Amino acid sequence: MAINSKCPRHNVHFEPDNIIIQVDTGANLMETAIAAGVHINASCGGAGVCGTCNVLVKSGQVESTRTDKVSQIDYNNGIRQACQTRVFSDLNIEIPVGSRLEKAVLSREIEELSTQKPVALVSGWSFKPPVEKVCLDLPIPTIDDNVSDLSRLLRVIKQRCNLENISVNADILSGLARILRKYNWQLTATILLETNSNYRVINIEPGDTRKSHYSLAFDIGTTAVRGQLLDLNRGMVISHCVDYNRQISYGEDVISRIAWSQKTGGLKRLQEAVTATLNDLIKRLINSAGVEFQSISYMVVAANTVMTQLLTGLDPKYLRLSPYVPTISSVPLLKAKSIGINTEEHVHLYIVPSVASYVGGDIVAGILGAGVHQSDETILYIDIGTNGEIVIGNSEIMLAASCSAGPTFEGGGIKHGMIATSGAIEGFEINSLDFEPVVSTIDNAKAKGICGSGLINVAAKLLESGIITQNGKINTDFSTKRIRKGEDGYEYVLCKKAKTQIGKDIVITEIDLDNLMRSKAAMYAGYQTLAKSMGINLTNIDRVIIAGTFGNNIDIKNAITIGLLPDLPRERFVFIGNGSLLGSRLISFSSDLLFDGETIARKMTNIELSENVEFMSNYMAALFLPHTNMKEFPSVSIKKGK
Amino acid sequence: MVFEIPKIEYSGQIKKVTLGSDNSAVTVGGETSYPFHLFEGGVPNLPRIAMEIYDTPPDDWPEAALAPFEGVIDDPVNWAKKCIDEYNAEMICLQLLSTDPNGLDRSAEEATAVVKKVVDAIEIPLIVWGTANHEKDTEVLRKVCEVCQGKRLVIGPVEEGDYKKIAAAALGYDHTVIASSPIDINLAKQLNILLGNLGIPEEHIIMDPTVSSIGYGIEYCYSVMERIRMAALTQQDDKLQLPIICNIAKETWKTKEVKTPETEEPKLGDAKKRGILMEAMSALVLLLAGGDVVVMRHPEAIKLIREIITELTTS
Repeated sequence: MAINSKCPRHNVHFEPDNIIIQVDTGANLMETAIAAGVHINASCGGAGVCGTCNVLVKSGQVESTRTDKVSQIDYNNGIRQACQTRVFSDLNIEIPVGSRLEKAVLSREIEELSTQKPVALVSGWSFKPPVEKVCLDLPIPTIDDNVSDLSRLLRVIKQRCNLENISVNADILSGLARILRKYNWQLTATILLETNSNYRVINIEPGDTRKSHYSLAFDIGTTAVRGQLLDLNRGMVISHCVDYNRQISYGEDVISRIAWSQKTGGLKRLQEAVTATLNDLIKRLINSAGVEFQSISYMVVAANTVMTQLLTGLDPKYLRLSPYVPTISSVPLLKAKSIGINTEEHVHLYIVPSVASYVGGDIVAGILGAGVHQSDETILYIDIGTNGEIVIGNSEIMLAASCSAGPTFEGGGIKHGMIATSGAIEGFEINSLDFEPVVSTIDNAKAKGICGSGLINVAAKLLESGIITQNGKINTDFSTKRIRKGEDGYEYVLCKKAKTQIGKDIVITEIDLDNLMRSKAAMYAGYQTLAKSMGINLTNIDRVIIAGTFGNNIDIKNAITIGLLPDLPRERFVFIGNGSLLGSRLISFSSDLLFDGETIARKMTNIELSENVEFMSNYMAALFLPHTNMKEFPSVSIKKGK
Repeated sequence: MVFEIPKIEYSGQIKKVTLGSDNSAVTVGGETSYPFHLFEGGVPNLPRIAMEIYDTPPDDWPEAALAPFEGVIDDPVNWAKKCIDEYNAEMICLQLLSTDPNGLDRSAEEATAVVKKVVDAIEIPLIVWGTANHEKDTEVLRKVCEVCQGKRLVIGPVEEGDYKKIAAAALGYDHTVIASSPIDINLAKQLNILLGNLGIPEEHIIMDPTVSSIGYGIEYCYSVMERIRMAALTQQDDKLQLPIICNIAKETWKTKEVKTPETEEPKLGDAKKRGILMEAMSALVLLLAGGDVVVMRHPEAIKLIREIITELTTS
């Protein structure tokens, strides 16, 4: 079409959000949605290959390339991939359930966060936050003692706190004279521990404000950001919040984020997306706790290396190129405001140091929280996620690895996969006589899909009942209508159409099972490779610590049945919830732990699995249910043929 | 002090698998040591050679390979008899080339009729090898199993993608299966487990780890077979304690190095000698890696291998 010299603009109306935005003709629909603040899932970051960004064009004219991700029937009915679609007239767009991000999704998690018992396995630390508020009464100046205001302040601080090396933030100086005199030379100084024995006065307030002294702790995940507001006087959590990382609109995994960051202005947009997420969470955290914005004194963030670099605006390009070198592993203490986080000028941001490109501060924080570095027992620490992170170690040695388990456990790559939210099939039992399933969903809502923990339960039960064979194929010898041939090969019907929210049967396909096997095989091969590097067998593991919010909902027995977890006695497994957040919180509470974190990051050895021959061999052996080597799984018995 | 050859401690044994029926049956396997390590353990059954014949005249064999079978290549029964009578074959491997859907695509009935004729005409074990096309093999080999009930055929290849139906027929009609996997110890083991889950007794399975000629990745095959034997004999991996069959002849005779005539590439030398040596040496490598049955083609290559086996096993 001819390009007019005057570019026409069109109104695009998004439902059900009911948001209208005006864009130039020819604008990409995905980008339009992002600009409007309307979320559309986009696992692949707009490359057109994932098929998660389908939208319904209810009226108006678009141009769109049909890929094999949209069936001809859907295409005829107006379904388009947002990332492949350009706007050519006013539009009415409906975002279907499958492409929508639901805020309600995380409600269950918030509930869990607030009921979670504070499990800190780490010990031997004292409550001593790295930021302290001290209330000082300065001697009133006289003609005999007329040193400058600042010298007076520092003199008193040195005496009171018994400090040698203390410096001052220049920005406190402008208000200094006024503040000192406001309440008759009584003031509260906020002192930050910078390094082992260097302190810095970062803020002064008139009078005694010690009561309002808070810190923020965040775990920035690729998918979700979790935050807590901490009372630094009482050492407790006073509010929690969770939300999706707004970077999701630019791709669901770290690799697609890195790819996005390479576009013009991409890095900046990704940084803005994550700081916007943080700012929104901060607002919610302080509002729900009724805390003043000014009383935040400190902030700790733990994140994977890619998230860390995107947060601090560092180009993550080289993280994904061999030999996988991060720009920095230890981010210097910086002012939160300087990277766009909405806090007072004096709030410093501590980012938990990372080990390598794919072993980030989130793991270091988790290891810290779990006390692995202090343990005489040998611990296997697992964080199951898109990037499965694994550490084996004790007080003497720690080996870490990250293996690409894929998005399966978060519902990705599964035909009816979804994140653990209302309507996700989680509980699953099967009648061994007629092979009819009994499913239960989160919130007992009508079924909408199947979540990661549900997938594990389904696969384990199907395997035990012989409906799937050890190579993850559906056994077609059984006579039940639940087994049938679908468009992706054989499938088992978990939930009939009438009982679902989505208007079609919810099934598990052989492709789903293949993806699950690959994910679990990557994790298991990771444990084996690390154990071997350590010179031990998995049976020598004294304790398995499972971190991550997904981990909390795993049925250990079923996870062993499919070979996701090593076959060890149940009592050796411990759940700690979100280890990364736990570690960040503890660092806010104790400078002892802050230094422990630094030590852990230095001490931990990264084993690069992507180029490890042994890992590949272990992986092949683990591509079986539960494993090719059944001796690794003595407690699992498999039903033999007729 | 007397020098003592260091010995490996073995903890496992390869299962004995009997191929064929009645008086002509041949038992393979049973080893308690690495191949030809007679000084360490028992090699109760020496490796065997199966001579291959085709169910249709092969159109891509070099002259040297065709010459010994002149006049019989269009008749599988006569071909088999010639192998037995003239070249003392111990087993016959009938390759069902004509059933290939990408080739002649002959029906299961036609193929079965040929198998039946051959099996009725010979008194030594018969191996029946399909085309590795899952759908077609399922159709053909199931039929073969049924019609040849009681003949104790060796049927294959049975792969992960088609094992269920073929193996079920083999089980039902009492034949031995060739568990075929693509050059990977774990995949080999997985298939054995799946066959076991299906109820196939171990003494009815022989493994085909997939082999290739010298110059075409035989090192890889060697390494996989070696690892299979190490796991079986020293790591008590009972799912891998099965004899191994290597379908090597067709791999060597299709290589460029064998097929190029001397007139085209004088530097390569005598084409017949080249083909024979390529086949014999490839077979030898696989025997050294743990092969229990090698499928071979040229009588002179076979003669060479027989001599080597004798030399290696007589003190």
